[in-house]
Amino acid sequence: MISSGPVSFSAISHSFGSRKILDNLSIDLEPGKVVLLSGENGSGKTTLLRILAGLLKPDTGYVDTGSGLLSWRKSRAKLISNFIYLHQTPYMFEGSVYRNLSIATSCVRGYENRKNRVLDAMEWAMLGGHRFAEAKTLSGGQQQRVSLARAWLRQPPYILLDEPTANMDSKSARRTLQLLEKLKHTNIGLIISSHIQHQFDSLADDHLELKDFQLSFLNARQFSGNVTPISRDREIV
Amino acid sequence: MDSLYPATREAFALLMSGDPDLWEIVGISFQVSGTAILISAPVALLIAFSLAYFNFPGRRALISLFNTLLSFPAVVVGLIIYILLSNQGPLGNFRLLFTQSAMIIAQCVLCLPILIAMGHAAFQSADQRAWETARTLGKSPFGAFSLIVLEIRFGLLAALFSGFGRIIAEVGASMMVGGNILHHTRNIPTAIALETSKGNFSQGIALGIVLVVLAFVLNLLLQHFQGRGKLAL
Repeated sequence: MISSGPVSFSAISHSFGSRKILDNLSIDLEPGKVVLLSGENGSGKTTLLRILAGLLKPDTGYVDTGSGLLSWRKSRAKLISNFIYLHQTPYMFEGSVYRNLSIATSCVRGYENRKNRVLDAMEWAMLGGHRFAEAKTLSGGQQQRVSLARAWLRQPPYILLDEPTANMDSKSARRTLQLLEKLKHTNIGLIISSHIQHQFDSLADDHLELKDFQLSFLNARQFSGNVTPISRDREIV
Repeated sequence: MDSLYPATREAFALLMSGDPDLWEIVGISFQVSGTAILISAPVALLIAFSLAYFNFPGRRALISLFNTLLSFPAVVVGLIIYILLSNQGPLGNFRLLFTQSAMIIAQCVLCLPILIAMGHAAFQSADQRAWETARTLGKSPFGAFSLIVLEIRFGLLAALFSGFGRIIAEVGASMMVGGNILHHTRNIPTAIALETSKGNFSQGIALGIVLVVLAFVLNLLLQHFQGRGKLAL
């Protein structure tokens, strides 16, 4: 696993043209914690997750990964290595499930080691019978499990999930939740965006709502997060 | 028309007999155009990728420029390269005029816009999630680029075939900068022009048959890779 501690984001603002999406919001994340992010459609959940993952440049934003407050741009490489962003509809590369999983093993040395890791991941994600299946032909639930298995292979400190159970039947959703539960126990921080909040009640430690361009804290079973804006007088590197 | 039938029969006989002069011309054509496409392809690939994935000042102007160059007459390209490589030109010291290298340079200039325009369209057709997924799974920018290239390989192959099809059949630039010198710079289109002007139709038709067969094969491959051969239902 890539070693990383808490990560704090502050002063994140973003607009698409004249349409404001996020306004000066802050969020603190810790490995092993599960944060549920809710909000109405179009409230900016996906935008926020993509900014956290280093995939979308915000208008303003600062990140503290433990080595001082840096601009988002300077932190981008670290965000990309520490966060995995899983799309609402996962992208499957051409080829088999095995190939799709092996893409996430580029840092594993040796063919045999890579093969074993991929087979372990298939076992972990309950995909054992689909090794040679064309990944693009799998059902939505199976593709989501392939996507989670790829993330599990990378073992990042944080995984950002965009509506992971959207458009799934209850059986597929249950299997996805089982995998998320397993990920939580491997000390990976999960940030889950969903409008089906009750599905994640037993999993989430913190529940944040994105509304009117701001994050607000709704409730927590074991609250340890901090969503108050980080003071701007911190030293900016 | 009376001479067409015997000339065609003689052309087939020339092709079948393995006439060394004729097949040497075919070989020069493939060597020059093959080298040009091999040199242009990596450059075009990187430019097409940059145009599709990175936003930088002048990006739209560059896209317009390459689209405009698509319809640039080959003979004008030949003229510009001729001026650059002639003794009085800025690159005259390299003494490249009337060599295969000059033809390769001209053909690179001719096929680059096609490769870039079609490559750009292929990269644009790639799903944005592919790049993001590759990067988020730990691939370096180059690793992600390689993955995307694999995903859109059929579109890129179509660009290669189109570019090759254009330069192997063009006559204007090759004639101007190559000089149509036997055993050196005489390729299929320049040989056809010459043999026809001499009234030697059989060799012109034989070389024409090679070009037509090549065009047919390239078109078949293009259809295969672009999926045009598929039925709508």
